[in-house]
Amino acid sequence: MKILVCIDDTDNIDSRGTGELASMLAADIEDHGWGTCEPVTRHQMLVHPDIAYTSHNSAMCFGAEIDESRLGELTAHAREFLVRESASGSDPGLCIVPLDGLSETDDLITFGKKAKQVVIAKEEAYALAERIGVHLSEHGGTGIGVIGALAGTGLRLTGNDGRFRGHFKIETESDQVTPAEIMRQTHVEVVKSLDGDVLNENETIVLGKKVKSVLQDGKSTLLVYNDPEGDCWRTCTKQQLKVY
Amino acid sequence: MLWKTNKNGNKEFLGGQESRHLAERAALECDMFVADDEDECVSDEPRSCYNCRYRRWTATAFECLKT
Repeated sequence: MKILVCIDDTDNIDSRGTGELASMLAADIEDHGWGTCEPVTRHQMLVHPDIAYTSHNSAMCFGAEIDESRLGELTAHAREFLVRESASGSDPGLCIVPLDGLSETDDLITFGKKAKQVVIAKEEAYALAERIGVHLSEHGGTGIGVIGALAGTGLRLTGNDGRFRGHFKIETESDQVTPAEIMRQTHVEVVKSLDGDVLNENETIVLGKKVKSVLQDGKSTLLVYNDPEGDCWRTCTKQQLKVY
Repeated sequence: MLWKTNKNGNKEFLGGQESRHLAERAALECDMFVADDEDECVSDEPRSCYNCRYRRWTATAFECLKT
C-alpha cells in the first residue's frame, strides 16, 4: 500500500532540522524491511505572527510503498522516533496517510493549501484527520506541529508544491551535462524551463553550485533558465527556487 | 542602517526578503553567523543572513534571534 508520512515542528534553533529527521525516518522504514520510500519534500506553511514556528515553518513529507500488514508497526515506530529525536522545546506532529481507498483527497489538499494562506487551529486539523481516517498525533510541547504535518501531506498530494530535500552531486567532466545524464544519475524525472517547456534529452545544461529539484505535476522536476549571455541553459539558483 | 527593533523587542532586518547584497553585508559584519540546513537556505551566497540559522522569517523580512 502507498502511504504519505509527514512531520513538522521537530526542531529548535540549535538542533538538527526536520528534514534530516524525515530522511532518518524514511531510512528506518527501509532498514526494517517495511517498504521503500520516496525522496523527502519540503513544504512551506504560512509565516504569521500568530504562529509559533521556530524559524521557517516548513513541513517535511515523503511517500512510501509498504506492506499493509506493517502499517501499525511503522506508525508505532514513527511515534517513538519523534518522541526520541525531536528537540527540546519543539512541538512535533506526525501524520500518516494511507492513500489506497482515501476518498477525501480533495479535503486534504484544500487543508494543505489553506495552511499556506491562513492561521489554522490544531482542533481543525484533528477534526479533519478523524473524519477522513488518517493518523495524526502530537509528541510534545503544544503539539501544534500536527497542523503542518497534516497540511504537508495535502500539499504533497497536489503534486505541485515544495522542493525536494538535499541537492544533487552530478558526476561530469565539465560543468555541462544533458537532461538524460541528470535523470540517469538522480531522481529527477523531467527537466523543464521556468516557462514550463520540457528540455530535449540531449540539450546542454550548465550546472550551478547547488542543483535541486522541485515537485511539479507529481514529478521530481529540475528547473533551468535560459542565460541569454551564454545562450545556454543553467540550473536555477536558490534565489529562483525559494518560491517553490 | 540595516536593522530596527520591532514590537516584539527583536532586531528586524530593514532590507526585506529580496535585498541580497544587504543580507550578505550584514552577515559579513556578524560574529554570530551560522549556516542553516541547506534545505532552508535561500541565497546563493553561503554567508548571508538569509541563510543563517538564527534568522526567523516574518511576513516581510526576518528577525535576528541573536540580538
